[in-house]
Amino acid sequence: MTPGKKRLSYSYYPGCSLHASGREYDISTRALFKALNVGLKEVPDWFCCGATPAHNVDELLSLSLCAKNLSLAEEVEGDLAVACAACFSRLKTTQHHLKEDDTKRKQVEVAIDGPAALNKPVKHILEILAREFGLAKLEESVKKPLMGLKVAPYYGCLLTRPPEVPELDDCEDPSIMEDVLRALGAEPVKWSHRMECCGANFTLSRPGVVLKLSNAILESARIAGADCIMVACPLCHGNLDIRQKEIKEAYGAPDSTLFGNIFGSELHGGSAPDQRDLPIFYVTQLAALAMGVASESLGFESVITDPKPLLRDKQLL
Amino acid sequence: MKNKLMHLSNETMNIGFVKKVEALSGSSVRRCFQCGKCSAGCPMSTFMEHPPNRVVRLLQLGQGQRILAGRSIWYCASCETCTTRCPNKVDLAAIMDALRKLSWDADGPSKESYVQLANRLFIENIRTYGRQYELRLGAAFNMKSGQFLKDLMLGPKLISKGKLKMFHSKNKNIAEIEGIFKRIEEMRKKGEAL
Repeated sequence: MTPGKKRLSYSYYPGCSLHASGREYDISTRALFKALNVGLKEVPDWFCCGATPAHNVDELLSLSLCAKNLSLAEEVEGDLAVACAACFSRLKTTQHHLKEDDTKRKQVEVAIDGPAALNKPVKHILEILAREFGLAKLEESVKKPLMGLKVAPYYGCLLTRPPEVPELDDCEDPSIMEDVLRALGAEPVKWSHRMECCGANFTLSRPGVVLKLSNAILESARIAGADCIMVACPLCHGNLDIRQKEIKEAYGAPDSTLFGNIFGSELHGGSAPDQRDLPIFYVTQLAALAMGVASESLGFESVITDPKPLLRDKQLL
Repeated sequence: MKNKLMHLSNETMNIGFVKKVEALSGSSVRRCFQCGKCSAGCPMSTFMEHPPNRVVRLLQLGQGQRILAGRSIWYCASCETCTTRCPNKVDLAAIMDALRKLSWDADGPSKESYVQLANRLFIENIRTYGRQYELRLGAAFNMKSGQFLKDLMLGPKLISKGKLKMFHSKNKNIAEIEGIFKRIEEMRKKGEAL
């Protein structure tokens, strides 16, 4: 921000999870924006964006719900800031589709009984931090660099895919999370699973799917030597954090089968398998921590895999 | 269907169905040349009897019913990896959405009912409350799927952590959501929307 330029200010669509299971994402987003002196005003009376279940079976409903939210967002000044990766993806997809497809736009306009408002830029929090607030200024604003913290940046599915829709970063080889982490003084690790699916909303219908996919993600992060994982999606957070103990019980428990007894130590290079707990942080929690926001205001009490021992160990608490 | 020979004739090929899929998804299935990149990157292919490339192949051969009878479409996570990597710009994620919608509307046979139940409850929650009421979503899923003990220990823990709210109030503008659902239903009744 150049001197004399107006203070950055955004309208804000938190989404359902941020008012419930992902409350710490909402709390830390507000705390971070306050610390950076960036305005954030919640859109009044927003609705659920429909997330994956709506577009899975009824695209018109999904587009209409998002178009309704976009028109509600018109009531608040500033570009629309979105934290949840799923809401972000649905809102961007709706803008993209309705701008390209007149038939669908007309149907949606009948459904929402009004014109589709498609021109307000929708921006993910990462984008706001890295591009609008700016990496250089972010780095300058750091009061407590996250020195020595090795973080596995986890993008998941919806932040960058499909091409041309989210416009956040390269759809196969993004770097925005790594850039933000470096600005905060942390060390992003290179790892294999940063864009693999965690099992998403199968957590309700088929949790076994989540255990398998999320286990692979946690394993990959451990192998890369990460202390923790950073996410930008409440569903990814839920799967990796809330189900982490269950995943360990299902996949990581000391292998007492015949196969495990014979080959177990071979497979793990003669040492015990890596069973470290990996705290899962939202990008806003790490950023706010680096800005010197008190840890009590970051919702750590709501997290299941306790991050405090790690933060104490790294002298960040 | 296993090991059964596929006979292709006017009787067994339903090209009308394929055209519906193409219209709904806005993507052609004929562009696919079976490189298999979609299935190679698919995180869910191990759960599917027809991995993504085979779903497209079956569509090319007019075998939509084979797809709908299985569980593949309900085990797609909508991660969009397939769409992102397709060299021929086949929007497989949109094709999966279209297939699910056609199966859903026809209330057709499928081996996968839990995912459909979760979707139904999620959408009902939007219509009733405006926003997701996660506790009700989980409880209703357990009741209706008959898995009364699923994640039983998780519930109280999440409530104590403040992650699940016991009570949830409806949006005060909830009538607007009901209006959206009603108008979509009317458009479909009149044949003005798919």
